[in-house]
Amino acid sequence: MDPSLVLQNLLSPPVLFFGLGLLSVLLRSDLEIPAPLPKLFSLYLLLAIGLKGGIELQHSGLDRLVLLTIGAALTMAVLVPITSFLLLRTRFDTYNAAALAAAYGSISAVTFITAETFLGSLAIPFDGFMVAALALMESPAIIIGLLLVRLTAPRAEGPGLQWGSLLHEAFLNSSVLVLVGSLLIGVLSAAYSPAGITKMEPFTEQLFYGALSFFLLDMGIVAGQRLRELQATGAFLIGFALLSPPLHAIAGLGVSLLLHLPQGDALLFMVLCASASYIAVPAAMRMTVPQANPSLYITASLGLTFPFNIVVGIPLYMAAVQRFIPAV
Amino acid sequence: MKRLDLIINERELERICAALIAAGAPGYTVVRHVTGRGHGGTVSEGMDFSGFGANAHVIVFCSSDDLAGIRTALKPLLGYYGGVGFVSEAEAL
Repeated sequence: MDPSLVLQNLLSPPVLFFGLGLLSVLLRSDLEIPAPLPKLFSLYLLLAIGLKGGIELQHSGLDRLVLLTIGAALTMAVLVPITSFLLLRTRFDTYNAAALAAAYGSISAVTFITAETFLGSLAIPFDGFMVAALALMESPAIIIGLLLVRLTAPRAEGPGLQWGSLLHEAFLNSSVLVLVGSLLIGVLSAAYSPAGITKMEPFTEQLFYGALSFFLLDMGIVAGQRLRELQATGAFLIGFALLSPPLHAIAGLGVSLLLHLPQGDALLFMVLCASASYIAVPAAMRMTVPQANPSLYITASLGLTFPFNIVVGIPLYMAAVQRFIPAV
Repeated sequence: MKRLDLIINERELERICAALIAAGAPGYTVVRHVTGRGHGGTVSEGMDFSGFGANAHVIVFCSSDDLAGIRTALKPLLGYYGGVGFVSEAEAL
């Protein structure tokens, strides 16, 4: 693996700011970001990436590769939680195994955005339709998670089936709504109002890198706080949180090779497979599978998998991509 | 007069408040952004960005007669979603 890839990622401002947030917790600094700001920046990042993806999707169109990639993304969003559940069920009860499986079957938009930024720094192009894959991979795992509970939990203990609430949470939670909505706005605006897109650029393009860095500073603080709860998770879950991302990424690489995806899209596909949700899924699991312990699935996805992916995973996956997929 | 203190996740606030009114509570007071530590670990505002936010503290003053219906309505919700409730005596100024 090319060490410069690791250094280029590790020494980029967003990752360094993430490290600063982590360090502030370890050093017991009083650094704190007021609660509404991370929410604002989270929504901003989703809006910006959705809009950008929609514009590029409008330009590229819906060809066979786009449809195949989106189909493969949906397939992975179903397969990853099922295989994760089978493994996790050996150590956890049905509820915790299903909630963890749902988190790992879904995706982390911020990891995806960080990977996009990494590709930008390497001047490796990627397609806008990958944002559509990102949007579509967020929700299926939530439904699979609840189905796994329904199918495997003892009937007397199982939660009441709340399909209305579940589907509402899965498809209309704020992050999915903003991401999908911005994607559609991007498609429509690029087709009918190109001048409007130009006016949006100072907001969605020029502020983006700084906003990502600031948001990752907060994520570093939150991840650092979650690391304190590692004792409660146990060695098995720590191993799962650190080993499943590269394994899922390898599966993603295999699919990318089958689909003949170019390097940039292949890295993003691997990141989608390897990342775990700490936004949409925990909120949905809290509502639909309240028997599961949030400190397990949030600590694993946010305290371990997220830092692993943005610090080590992305350059590691890029090295694999460069090994197996030739540059165009 | 009775005082009921409920500590619940903010995500269930709307559901709990609707159940309180349906059960005959004369009203309630809500304190949001409540943090601390419970069975599920530390509760902070750090996850507010995810919609998995902090807790809420709901305070209800009601008569002893109203309390029975409120208790019946809330116990299954607290049992399912988690959260705690405590009843104490209260006296108006």
